[in-house]
Amino acid sequence: MTTSEIVLVGVLALLGAGLYGLLITRNLIKVVIALQILVKGGLLALVAAGEASGQTNLGQSLAMTVIVADTVVAVVGLALAIQARRLLGTLDLKALSNLRG
Amino acid sequence: MNDLTAFTWMILLPLLAAPVIYLSGRLTKEQAGVARWVALLALVLTWIPFALAASDLSADGPQTYTLGQVALRLDDLGLLLAALSLGLGTLVVLYSGPYMAAESGQEKYYATLVANIGVVIGLGCATDLFNLWVWFEALAVSTYLLVAFYHEQPTSLEAGIKYLVQSAVGSALVLLGIALVLGQTGTLNLVEIREAAGADSAILLAAGALFTIGFGVKVALVPMHTWLPDAHSQAPSGISAMLSGVVIEAGLIALLRALSALARVEASWGELLMAFGAINMLVGNLMALRQTQVKRLLAYSSLSHIGYMLLGLGIALYSKELAGAQGSLFHMLNHGLMKGLAFLAAGGLLYALHTSMGDHSPLTIGDLAGAAQRYPLAALGLSIAVLGLGGLPPLAGFMSKWQIFVAGFETREGWIEALVVFAALNSVLSLGYYAPLVNAVYRQKPSEAVQKGQPMPALMNVPVVLLAVAVVAVGVWPALLRWLTGPAGEALLAAFGF
Repeated sequence: MTTSEIVLVGVLALLGAGLYGLLITRNLIKVVIALQILVKGGLLALVAAGEASGQTNLGQSLAMTVIVADTVVAVVGLALAIQARRLLGTLDLKALSNLRG
Repeated sequence: MNDLTAFTWMILLPLLAAPVIYLSGRLTKEQAGVARWVALLALVLTWIPFALAASDLSADGPQTYTLGQVALRLDDLGLLLAALSLGLGTLVVLYSGPYMAAESGQEKYYATLVANIGVVIGLGCATDLFNLWVWFEALAVSTYLLVAFYHEQPTSLEAGIKYLVQSAVGSALVLLGIALVLGQTGTLNLVEIREAAGADSAILLAAGALFTIGFGVKVALVPMHTWLPDAHSQAPSGISAMLSGVVIEAGLIALLRALSALARVEASWGELLMAFGAINMLVGNLMALRQTQVKRLLAYSSLSHIGYMLLGLGIALYSKELAGAQGSLFHMLNHGLMKGLAFLAAGGLLYALHTSMGDHSPLTIGDLAGAAQRYPLAALGLSIAVLGLGGLPPLAGFMSKWQIFVAGFETREGWIEALVVFAALNSVLSLGYYAPLVNAVYRQKPSEAVQKGQPMPALMNVPVVLLAVAVVAVGVWPALLRWLTGPAGEALLAAFGF
């Protein structure tokens, strides 16, 4: 296996793990973790793409920006999780599915 | 002020104002409402660079500002989005004064709202894919906070979490698409990608699919729409107006910009948009028909209006028909006016009947019965808005739908004509849920809620009246907005290289 193939497998594994996590978990904290894993797949893909197109610096600086943006999303997600726990006493998404139709 | 800085100030001013608004609200008494006046002042000041940028644009063409490797470029499409965002945003801040007066944490509300407006303007000026993603992500974060503003209400929290999770998955997919494009073409600049992209590259086609799904979550393309009715109905009413009138449209512009880079990859983006348009119209209308809550009904009607816009854009991309793009962008502005009016008027009634008494239950169609007797302005505003949305002449919605339909017939292709007829039937179907609202407001005996309701603050009527006048005026003189929609349609086709 060449390096780029290993990276590709890594990207797909991270994306798969993230999506699978989102599908099976009902715990809000785990949902945020699954989202993080998903974005890490995209991150690795960006670095690899920068490498492949001969612009290593570009790929890495994009990745740094993504980390910042992604952290902000995680912070907001966790803040919502804390608030859900405070209001409802649980992190289970089932308690948070009353809006329908 | 030299010509380079006019439009950058239009982006910077709201973004710089956001922390000032927060601090001004934090350091003074909440009741004084300092934050809202600072927010209003910041937005009023932003109109100055907007006017300068608009005159520069019409005199010298698109303006570019480069900072290091990142370039921002204001073209007519960006100007249209800026006008929509700033216009509706200013009215929403004015409206939120009385609406939010009793809430705690107003400084956060105004700071986020003003930042949101700046971010939408910036998103319209992005010239490279990654920059577009960063603005898109900033837009998403600011709207998560606004949707979940009533954080003591479990339903708002639920709407916020649904929105966050779906939107975050969408942006991760966009990121993957960007990586594919970068790996394949070696550049992120939208125009350079368009030049470099080969005709039958499967990887770039996959990137296009990822962009459609990723940005499509924000545009609420069916079936990625499930967050929208929750978020739009649970947010404070001013924010519902912004989400429906500006934020989903900003997502649409982002999707178009991303697809414009891939214009040469596959010639069927137009068909794709038309197909999503048809599904959106039908699902939006059918779901709206069975709603009993007014804001939820309006949220579903946004889905169908996105459908009309997609139809016009699809026609434009398919046949290179300028009228389709212009009609669609015209509908985008009109939808902002009409849906803004509808949410603000319905929000006013919600405030008077429920929220002002500390009751966070939703406004139902039953509550609206006889509202015209006690709240004549809000009732008239709501009626004008929904009849306009339904496409009754001589209101704004009729003119833009008409332009899209005419563009469809001008292609002289049977299946597009059938699609236009389908859209027209959908438009008639939509009256099935708009007309009962008007009927309830004017022809029924006052409901219990109306009889017990509080008076509506006078300041809340100002944006409602202004928007109602605008909806009628644009309907009677559609040329009023041509200075924005005409060049913006050309800019859109130019971005696709037609």
